Amino acid sequence: MDYFKPESVSEALSLLAKYGNEAKIIAGGTDVMVDIKYKEEPGCLVNIKRIPGMSAIEESGGSLRIGPLVTIREIETSKLVRERLPLLWEACHQFASLQIRNTATIGGNICRASPSGETLAPLLVLGAKAKLAFSDGEKTEPFNSLFQGPGKTSLGSKGLLAAIEIPYPPKGSSGVYLKHAVRGPMDIAVVGIAVLVVPDSAAKTLQEARIGLGAVAPTPIRAIKAEAMLRGKPLDSKLVEQAAQMAAAESSPITDQRGSAEYRRWIVEALTRRGLEQTWKAATGKEVA
Amino acid sequence: MTLTINVTVNGKSVSADAEPSTSLLEFLRDVLNYKGTKLCCNTGECGACTVLFNGKPVNSCVVPAADAVGAQVVTVEGLADGEKLHPVQQAFIDTGAVQCGYCTPGFIISVKALLDRTKRPTPAEIEEAVSGNICRCTGYAKIVDAIALAAERMEGSTLGIASGGRS
Ligand SMILES: Cc1cc2nc3c(=O)[nH]c(=O)nc-3n(C[C@H](O)[C@H](O)[C@H](O)COP(=O)(O)OP(=O)(O)OC[C@H]3O[C@@H](n4cnc5c(N)ncnc54)[C@H](O)[C@@H]3O)c2cc1C
Ligand code: FES
Ligand code: FES
Repeated sequence: MDYFKPESVSEALSLLAKYGNEAKIIAGGTDVMVDIKYKEEPGCLVNIKRIPGMSAIEESGGSLRIGPLVTIREIETSKLVRERLPLLWEACHQFASLQIRNTATIGGNICRASPSGETLAPLLVLGAKAKLAFSDGEKTEPFNSLFQGPGKTSLGSKGLLAAIEIPYPPKGSSGVYLKHAVRGPMDIAVVGIAVLVVPDSAAKTLQEARIGLGAVAPTPIRAIKAEAMLRGKPLDSKLVEQAAQMAAAESSPITDQRGSAEYRRWIVEALTRRGLEQTWKAATGKEVA
Repeated sequence: MTLTINVTVNGKSVSADAEPSTSLLEFLRDVLNYKGTKLCCNTGECGACTVLFNGKPVNSCVVPAADAVGAQVVTVEGLADGEKLHPVQQAFIDTGAVQCGYCTPGFIISVKALLDRTKRPTPAEIEEAVSGNICRCTGYAKIVDAIALAAERMEGSTLGIASGGRS
């Protein structure tokens, strides 16, 4: 196996161009090392950890820019993230063990494009954008078009994720990430749900609700029909129930060893309900009527 | 393709060859002969292979040896000061937190990292610090006792616990 440690994005991109499908980018390696042992060895490993400028969390205007090499633990312990993006903080806090969080990067989590990837539903709901580097230039891709299937992103085998830009959620909003897994954070999510609500200034109606579903479709998705049902309406328990059922209907889970499709839909419904109730209360101080 | 890995293990500089696909665990055990770090699941799930990597606990079975170039690695062999065990090791013995012992080196490293971060860990912090370490024998209660005892003893003493020390 060939091995390279490029020191710039352009050097990495030319290696990807040269080796094509034989090349595998490696960041933290928590997915790639396991694949090498139990699936297949790539012809060439491209270790991107030496590329400068990809390891910082920076505030720029009304958003946070996170380098792809930032580890899950660095996000979890970042004051800026805790204050500004508690939803992302929460997902990173529920991400595997400390040992894995110290090694795994956010870029690896995104590029792995596992439907159950912990940070993906929160990033979708936050309206994050990915900066993708290709040999013919940089492209900004919204998260809702980044994921194309399990393990597939619009990067293909030629691009590199160079940064993630996350706008701060609107003032007065509240978000939550709810993970359902057999062994809590230690386990891969059976269902992961991110909810963000924006009440109007009088705390009477929902200006906007965003619902992200993880592990229940080929990619992480937004429950857009449920979101549309909620927009502009006063939130009561009947509407919460209807939206939760709609979110479950919008999911298209598979049956595997972690749970059946039917079970997963149930969990989507329960967690959407819980997420809406919790965020509404956190944002307005009031229980759902 | 063979890589040369220059790394500091338990305070000692070493240099040896590894393949790009070699894990840090294989490198420590099979190349450098540090057998204290255990191989168990080999997929990052169980914590038996935990080492300190630049001061932070990681599962060495999913870390490439290639990434250790220039790094400081501490294994369980690096904790004792000559014949004198590290307070975390001593506490595991004194509370009976060791049965078959296979998980113990991983736990000890996770606990060392915890007590490097916080002198007085809360029960929740203790639980979080070792939730990536699996023990099939003890039922965990005695391990939690050992951690509390080690924290108490280290808080009470002025022992400077060097990360190196293996000569
Ligand atoms: C024991 C264990 C527990 C886990 N638990 C969880 C969990 O609870 N939740 C969860 O979401 N995941 C979990 N994972 C999966 C994994 O840790 C995450 O997906 C992690 O974020 C991957 O990051 P990495 O840096 O280790 O990626 P790598 O293994 O280095 O790479 C992952 C993929 O991304 C590609 N890649 C990496 N960086 C880039 C980049 N900048 N540009 C383009 N491509 C890139 C690689 O080519 C590879 O395909 C777990 C893994 C293990 C081993
Ligand atoms: S052997 Fe590495 S985590 Fe189990
Ligand atoms: S003492 Fe046997 S596995 Fe923990």
